[in-house]
Amino acid sequence: MSEPGCGCAGKGCSEKTPENPGRRAFLTRATVALGGLIAAALTATGAGYFVSPAFQRREEDWVDLGRSGDFKAGAPSLVEFTQRRRDAWVTSERRSSAWVVTSDGKSFTAFDPRCTHLGCPYRWDAGSARFVCPCHTAVFGPDGKVISGPPPRPLDEYETKVAAGRLMILPKAQKA
Amino acid sequence: MRERALKAYAWACERTGVDTAWTALMARKIPEAKGWVGLLYTLGSATMAIFTVQAVTGFLLATNYVPSPDHAYDSVRYIDASVLFGRVVRGLHHWGASFMVVFAVLHMLRVYFMGSYKYPREATWMAGVGLLLLVLGFSFTGYLLPWDQKAYWATVVGTTIAGQTPVVGSMLADVLRGSDGMGAPTLTRFYALHVLLLPALTGGLIAVHLYLVIWHGISEPPKKAAKKAP
Repeated sequence: MSEPGCGCAGKGCSEKTPENPGRRAFLTRATVALGGLIAAALTATGAGYFVSPAFQRREEDWVDLGRSGDFKAGAPSLVEFTQRRRDAWVTSERRSSAWVVTSDGKSFTAFDPRCTHLGCPYRWDAGSARFVCPCHTAVFGPDGKVISGPPPRPLDEYETKVAAGRLMILPKAQKA
Repeated sequence: MRERALKAYAWACERTGVDTAWTALMARKIPEAKGWVGLLYTLGSATMAIFTVQAVTGFLLATNYVPSPDHAYDSVRYIDASVLFGRVVRGLHHWGASFMVVFAVLHMLRVYFMGSYKYPREATWMAGVGLLLLVLGFSFTGYLLPWDQKAYWATVVGTTIAGQTPVVGSMLADVLRGSDGMGAPTLTRFYALHVLLLPALTGGLIAVHLYLVIWHGISEPPKKAAKKAP
């Protein structure tokens, strides 16, 4: 058995016995190696589990607005929808809407329905072919650009895509 | 490199006495036991190793688990389906729970049949019995947490059994359930017991148990009784 004393690492001091030189050392090494392997496998699993949020991409909550062919060029249409958001094990639903504009029925633009000034809901004025906000008389063009009034930036756009003939949007406010 | 490591070791050793601790804990003398009998002496360490796995995987599961009826089942499904290694970690905890009971009982059988519980090791035995009861407490409280059909009805059965106790039965069942019947308070109560109270008690009792094991030294395997003279 090893003797106490700081000059010696406790183990490995007198591992050889006269009748079995090296047997004890071999078993020690085998135990440490196997135990280390098991511990390493478990640690790697646990560490992967714990740090996995760093590599996980959040699911995008695309919303189906209906057949893309139903949106005609010309007047923008206000579409109401329910967005289902998934936050890990929590699912929540949110009622919202978007203005959908298309010039050719192929490429689409979706606007956040809130004015970029103070968040009032604006409307489409068919006569002047412009978006008009009732609160502070802001006016936006069909492309979302500010024509007049106090808004600091053009209308916020949602990402759009057409998949299998359906118009999909990703409603989240983004600076245009 | 080696020089440096030795120097660092000498520094730490002089200031902490790890060498004495190593001699007392790891390099202590143990009885000679050959073959399968020797294997029986590893059952306590095996239980201890599983407990460590349970503690670590339990912490990891708790990072993604909600002890509330509206989210418990979904959060467990989330661990299984969406977290990296989630199924492995939950699997380890699930199977570890069963093996914890199995190994603790096997360890107890070894101690019993070898007579290791006898004088002067009665206190070690008592601490061990306490630990076995705590393990069963972990099993009972942990079984409810997935909040699926099996978990729910098993706990209905378990708490109803407690309710059959004479005189104080119905009060006992209410205390266990945290309300008049199964519900949200049952889940939070079992969760609190499972992750706070039981681990603390178990850690303390393991310390007592191990201290006694080391202080007494390991008991020798029983010798064959000498044949009685006719």
